[in-house]
Amino acid sequence: MTEDWLTVALPKGKLGRQALEIVNQTSLAVSGMEIDSRKLYWEFPEKQVRFLICRPTDIPVYVEYGAADLGIVGKDTIVEAGADVFELVDLKFGECKFVVAVPGDQVATDGEYDLNRLNLGRIASKFPNVARRFFQQAGLQVEVIKLHGNIELAPKVGLADAIVDIVSTGRTLKENDLVAVQDIFRATARLIANRVSYRMKYAVIKQVVAECKQTVGSGGILSD
Amino acid sequence: MSNIYEIPPGVRDLLPHQARWKRQMEDRLAELFSRWGYEEVLTPTFEYYSSLTEQGSGLDEELLYKFLDRNGRIMALRPDMTTPIARMVSSRMRGEPLPLRLFYLANVFRYEKTHAGRQREFFQAGVELLGAKGPKADAEVLNLAVAALETAGLKDFRIGVGQVEATKALLGELDRESSTSFKEAIASKDFVQLEILLEKSRVSARERDILVEVAMSRGGVSDLEQLLDVVENRDAYNALSELVEIFKILQYQGLEEKVFFDLGILRDFDYYTGIVFEGYVPNLGFPVCGGGRYDNLLEKFGYPLAATGFAVGLERVMLALREPESDREQGYLLLGSFPKVLDRAGQLRRQGYRVVVCYEQLPRGEAEKLAAAKGLTLLVEEGEQ
Repeated sequence: MTEDWLTVALPKGKLGRQALEIVNQTSLAVSGMEIDSRKLYWEFPEKQVRFLICRPTDIPVYVEYGAADLGIVGKDTIVEAGADVFELVDLKFGECKFVVAVPGDQVATDGEYDLNRLNLGRIASKFPNVARRFFQQAGLQVEVIKLHGNIELAPKVGLADAIVDIVSTGRTLKENDLVAVQDIFRATARLIANRVSYRMKYAVIKQVVAECKQTVGSGGILSD
Repeated sequence: MSNIYEIPPGVRDLLPHQARWKRQMEDRLAELFSRWGYEEVLTPTFEYYSSLTEQGSGLDEELLYKFLDRNGRIMALRPDMTTPIARMVSSRMRGEPLPLRLFYLANVFRYEKTHAGRQREFFQAGVELLGAKGPKADAEVLNLAVAALETAGLKDFRIGVGQVEATKALLGELDRESSTSFKEAIASKDFVQLEILLEKSRVSARERDILVEVAMSRGGVSDLEQLLDVVENRDAYNALSELVEIFKILQYQGLEEKVFFDLGILRDFDYYTGIVFEGYVPNLGFPVCGGGRYDNLLEKFGYPLAATGFAVGLERVMLALREPESDREQGYLLLGSFPKVLDRAGQLRRQGYRVVVCYEQLPRGEAEKLAAAKGLTLLVEEGEQ
């Protein structure tokens, strides 16, 4: 990889399209790139920048290893990956939150639920690290089961007592008769940097950071 | 059918070309360190767990490889060389005139999540300058770090220098709890978290400016001097003034392009008390060397002695270089009648050549192929076939 080039990893899908909108308002702006085409590698020699389109969960990996200097990805993915990357800007889109959800019939009519009931229970999640850490900090001993999708199914068939998942509208939970009983944390998309790139390519990264901040505006920082 | 016997994650075999590369790098570094007056030492591969941990390396104990000896005492493989050398110097080298200049080439062991460049057994080449205080000593070690990375064959590297004392002093003005969370946010360059903390905590506008300055500022002497103008905390001011002095010495030696300061560099080890630094190369996602000043470590072993040091990660340098320089010395593949070839081989070896004797009477074409594969020149003994 050439030293003067900047490599940016963007996620596929909706998150990526929003990320591209932000990128296009910075000095890295490019025309003609599509997030959802089959082309996963875009080079723009006139700007000395290249973009990789990856699965969101792979972005912290590309950035941590330095295969990409910068990346845009959800805080949820960063936390789950436990990646050692620098988190530079809260881009404030793609908002979602991690919750613990249990079947509706477990919750009292006033909406109260004692989390201690999950002690020694089984928790299904696509985010086993987030789930494990949350229950550890809550002082509860649970068995975390990693599933790759549709985890709403797990409580229904007795595979798990609860799930840990991200929700944005809450519709999926409702349709599966699940109720969120505990927020774990909120997540939005972040601009992340490799720790060496941040120091070796400081001037250009600093500029991108300033431009991103200007684009998303100041204030309205989400608290955890 | 498989003949592959697995080895554990995080360790590796070095095949001839890799072992040769590592050896050449070590030789060059050993020679460099010697020229600077550093003497080689070696400590045991394993020692008592308590000597490696109780003295506060601050390294997560889960990172240590531990085992019991037959008397039930807990042993550990050395996770770095700094703590064992501090132990050795405190107990075995008290009479020696100061300062001590020591270097090592050694493998160390950490139970890390394995990654490219993050092995569980890895090789370090490093130095410790013991019994010398102040900017001149720090500048010597930084200068030697630059020379070591150059000697190892790296070109476009840069060394980032932090000052934990300054950072601690500035954060020390905050209450304890927020000081810890600010420290974490600054070290991991989690600017998002930093902003959240600034929103939440009731820091004054002035404190806020200083924290942002600590987290963001970087550069050379002039940037440091600018920072000095706004810092009021006395300890931080003194620590940063020393950093300015160090940078001026490095500037005098023409190294200002190679170093920059970044107060966000804090490193993982708790024993650091002054400057801390890391070496970076383009396109490698992790530092190739690291070090700093640790003035309190030897005191914990009962011998108060100021100290600075660094270690270069050899595997990481090799990853950054990708290809070994091909400076294999000249050599010959000898073919001829036995035992006459032995005389010729002995003669050439005494002259310093690498000689391989071929005991089979190969046809010339095949012998040439073999010689080429081994990087040797074919030599057929006169008058023989």
